[in-house]
Amino acid sequence: MAHSLAAAASFSPPAARRRPPSQVTNAISSRGLVSFNSQRMSFVSIRSRPSQLRFKICCSAKKETVDKVCMIVKSQLALPDGTTVTGESKFSELGADSLDTVEIVMGLEEEFNITVDETSAQDIATVQDAANLIEKLVLEKAA
Amino acid sequence: MHHRLLLLRRGAMSIPPPPAPRMPGVAGGRLFASLPPPPPLQSPREVHVWYLCPDELIDRSQLDMYTELLSPSERKNALAMNGPRLQKDAMLSRALLRTTLSRYTDANIDPRSFEFKKNKFGKPEILWQSDESSMEWPLHFNISHTSSLIACGIAMDTPIGIDVEEKKRKTVKSILSLARRYFTPLEVDYLAKISDSDAQQREFIKLWTLKEAYVKALGRGFSGAPFNRFSIQLETNSRIQISKATKVCNDSASGCDYLSENWRFALAELNSSYYMSVCIEDNSRGLYSLFFLM
Repeated sequence: MAHSLAAAASFSPPAARRRPPSQVTNAISSRGLVSFNSQRMSFVSIRSRPSQLRFKICCSAKKETVDKVCMIVKSQLALPDGTTVTGESKFSELGADSLDTVEIVMGLEEEFNITVDETSAQDIATVQDAANLIEKLVLEKAA
Repeated sequence: MHHRLLLLRRGAMSIPPPPAPRMPGVAGGRLFASLPPPPPLQSPREVHVWYLCPDELIDRSQLDMYTELLSPSERKNALAMNGPRLQKDAMLSRALLRTTLSRYTDANIDPRSFEFKKNKFGKPEILWQSDESSMEWPLHFNISHTSSLIACGIAMDTPIGIDVEEKKRKTVKSILSLARRYFTPLEVDYLAKISDSDAQQREFIKLWTLKEAYVKALGRGFSGAPFNRFSIQLETNSRIQISKATKVCNDSASGCDYLSENWRFALAELNSSYYMSVCIEDNSRGLYSLFFLM
């Protein structure tokens, strides 16, 4: 959290320089923590800089979506009966090669009526990743 | 100027255990004493591919010896695979790589001591020790496996990508639907004209392995070279060509800046059941020829 705050906020130098030291202490430590020590409310302008960080979507998909992904994966890979596939399952560990992966992606596109581009597909390592991406794409489509 | 592609088969387990190591001092050398030193890689236009079939390697003690060559993290990754068959394939894949690399350093480097890193796109490379006593070899490698064959391609001074696939691999989706989704219009047309469905399926697999080999050789990950931005043309009696799919490139935001066309391809049949594609970078305009070594 501290890091993203540091990246996103900067204090306008002129305002800071105008302050007499006894009234305000702006401390920005090397870890990006910002703290005020002031007896009075002082005006400080915060300009946000566009973040260079790429945020991964971390919100968890619905169980229903994860289950559907598991089902599509199992049928594509023709896994032996009794193989457990869960959200944590990694495609590589299930023995999916690149042709399996594109077929799985195609199956997911058809099932959920979405389009997955190569960059997003490349980041998918687990079933959960796939489910999260699907829900993100479905939301974007509806918006 | 010729290109040479040598296809070499790793001995199966029917070879009796060797009586004495011919490469003393190299741990793991006795596993390969029955194999002659590999032919040297004579030039950057030469590629060697070593392959093995896991189903033929069933001797438990030999498998244990191979496993012993792996790094702890390789062993851990192999054991994380789902089921004994996938675990065995993963172990053999790393063992094949390590032993092959060792042989191409005149067995000076113990198979166990290789370290690997990934480039910024995730492509594995050799990490050479930085101490002065060790040598560096400009070896490039790439591995591919299907369920029943593992292949390791080695080249000197040139990036390499390889991909193997069963000729008769059945897809869940139809060939043309896969091609329409992932290939270029040129390639879709080529496949659509083939009326026999088995032949069409085989041509699809050929194109698939060629495109995979290119992406792996380029080493920028799959999003670095999306399949629908370059076409591979298979023309009988002439060489395999790659070209950028201009319209798609012009339409896309990032263009096709990273796609280069100065790559050489080889397409081979292995064991009559597999297609294998090899791709190396090349700046010359040499003739291409293919040699098989049994």
